[in-house]
Amino acid sequence: MQIEFQILRQTPDTAPKLDRFTVEADSSETILSCLNRIKWEQDGSLAFRKNCRNTICGSCSMRINGRSTLACKENIAGEMARLGTASGETPTMTIAPLGNLPVVKDLIVDMKPFWDDLEKVEPYVSTSSRQLPEREFLQSPDERAEFNATGNCILCGACYSECNAKEVNPNFVGPHALAKAQRLLADDRDDRREARLESFDNPDSGVWGCTRCYYCNSVCPMEVSPLDRISEIKGEILDRSTKDDSRPIRHRKVLLELVEEGGWIDERKFSLQVIGNYFKDLQGLLDIAPLGLRMLANGKFPVRFDPSEGSAEVRGLIAAVKAATQATTKAGA
Amino acid sequence: MLKYAYFPGCVAQGACSELDLSTKALAKKLDIELLELKRAACCGSGTFKEDSQLLEDTVNARNIALAEELNLPLLTHCSTCQGVIGHVDERLKDAKENDPEYFDRVNGFLSQEHCTPYRGSTDVKHLLWAIVSDYGIDKVREKVSRKLSGLKCASFYGCYLLRGESHLAYDDPYNPQSMENVFEAVGATPIIYEGRTKCCGWPLSSYATDKAFSMAGMHLQAAIDAGADCLVTPCPLCHLNLDSRQPEVEKAWGQKLGLPVLHLPQLVALALGVSPKELGMGKHVVSTRSVLQKLGF
Repeated sequence: MQIEFQILRQTPDTAPKLDRFTVEADSSETILSCLNRIKWEQDGSLAFRKNCRNTICGSCSMRINGRSTLACKENIAGEMARLGTASGETPTMTIAPLGNLPVVKDLIVDMKPFWDDLEKVEPYVSTSSRQLPEREFLQSPDERAEFNATGNCILCGACYSECNAKEVNPNFVGPHALAKAQRLLADDRDDRREARLESFDNPDSGVWGCTRCYYCNSVCPMEVSPLDRISEIKGEILDRSTKDDSRPIRHRKVLLELVEEGGWIDERKFSLQVIGNYFKDLQGLLDIAPLGLRMLANGKFPVRFDPSEGSAEVRGLIAAVKAATQATTKAGA
Repeated sequence: MLKYAYFPGCVAQGACSELDLSTKALAKKLDIELLELKRAACCGSGTFKEDSQLLEDTVNARNIALAEELNLPLLTHCSTCQGVIGHVDERLKDAKENDPEYFDRVNGFLSQEHCTPYRGSTDVKHLLWAIVSDYGIDKVREKVSRKLSGLKCASFYGCYLLRGESHLAYDDPYNPQSMENVFEAVGATPIIYEGRTKCCGWPLSSYATDKAFSMAGMHLQAAIDAGADCLVTPCPLCHLNLDSRQPEVEKAWGQKLGLPVLHLPQLVALALGVSPKELGMGKHVVSTRSVLQKLGF
């Protein structure tokens, strides 16, 4: 069948332009196989990375029809199903380079910021553990299973490319790095756990910089689910923190307290307690005062709050789950 | 007649009461019966999971079980509620088959606190999915009494609606069409722009406010540049960051934006002949007057 490719091509010195190619291929063929055919048979100057052809090396990541993925993993039939191509219609595949990274040429991006960000979480089992004892390190299958998900990461950059937090915050280390960070926290051979947790506990480069857009979970070709790993790190930080420690921590703790209190969130209290820190943060209060007045002026300020009729049940349920998880954490420790 | 267990969520009972008004007005127009879950609780908006997966699953298993008691699907009108509760439903239905120990653990907490156990017998459905899959776009089109001709609408889907659940039954998470199909059905013109599937910035707004405003500013500007008269969102949390905080976003962005942001049921109900007042169109921070003028109100 005939397949049309429109490929975004550029160099650092030229504006991006769409080049069109028509390929004769079977619907079971991968996008990578079609790109190879274009390069070998139609335009040798088309630049893209490739290596294993087998979803192992992570080299051929690019944006295919609007999301970052591996060209060797996706095939024409799958893309046609996604795009809803009608039978008889010539399918069009739109190919672009990864996002959040500078383009070197066509579909090749400069991965340096990606590697630099990974380096920031010190992605190695700590130095003291690497001084080898007489016997090798023993790790049970259960202990190893703690980081099975992150162990699958092939560092292809798909999550980094779509990360909405990275798009507005160059300091955020990115989902790949924080997934790796969780892997090290979960590795019982690592002895820098406390220092690591402290370094990830900040709203700029660390876990609270994540905006939970779910793109990383959604596009990851290896089911690493970076957002879930970030949530696990957040959980560990929350376990050892109090409301006074920082605003992102207070945000989580106050939210839960308000649900325990009224089933639903009383938004009036939420802002005052999280941002105003119970009237202790005067700058915070000043910052949200215009918002409060604006909401009042437009009839949006919630003047009353009706608790859920099931508040008592919810309170009991949260207390029971908390007691059980805390008991497990203690037993684990 | 379609019937749902209506999960109102926190924001529609608080800062976006106009969403509650308009969902109810739309349901009435479409002859959809809503039974409000008055005993339900906040889904946690994705933060319960940060405490523990068990907490998110247990609180929301109870929410779903309340709908199951009524033998009805649970209806949300918030992208975040949908992504969170819908994903819990997916996970627990899977656990029922593949991890009965975990399934029983969740239900053990519910029994212990005298709540009805979760059975995994119903669905969690956003109003948008109810419109496109249960009611049907064509039937909406037939009901239109006041075509919104000439109104250029840019969608803002909300992350959790598109990517919160593992399997999205009614749309594509990267190139969704449901909102645009609704726009066409009510006679409006869809505007496609970069940003309609992205994060509004709300989750960061209480502590990384500058980043939250950058995201909002970037998307509002992109919609304006593409020619939009308004944004339309199925998520009240997006509405909070894009509408209620738009004056602050403008300051951070360094440019006047002034783009009205409508809730999905407001837009549809306007086309079905409900008055702007009944839909709380005056309860927005960015005035909706320009939209109403364009429609001849």
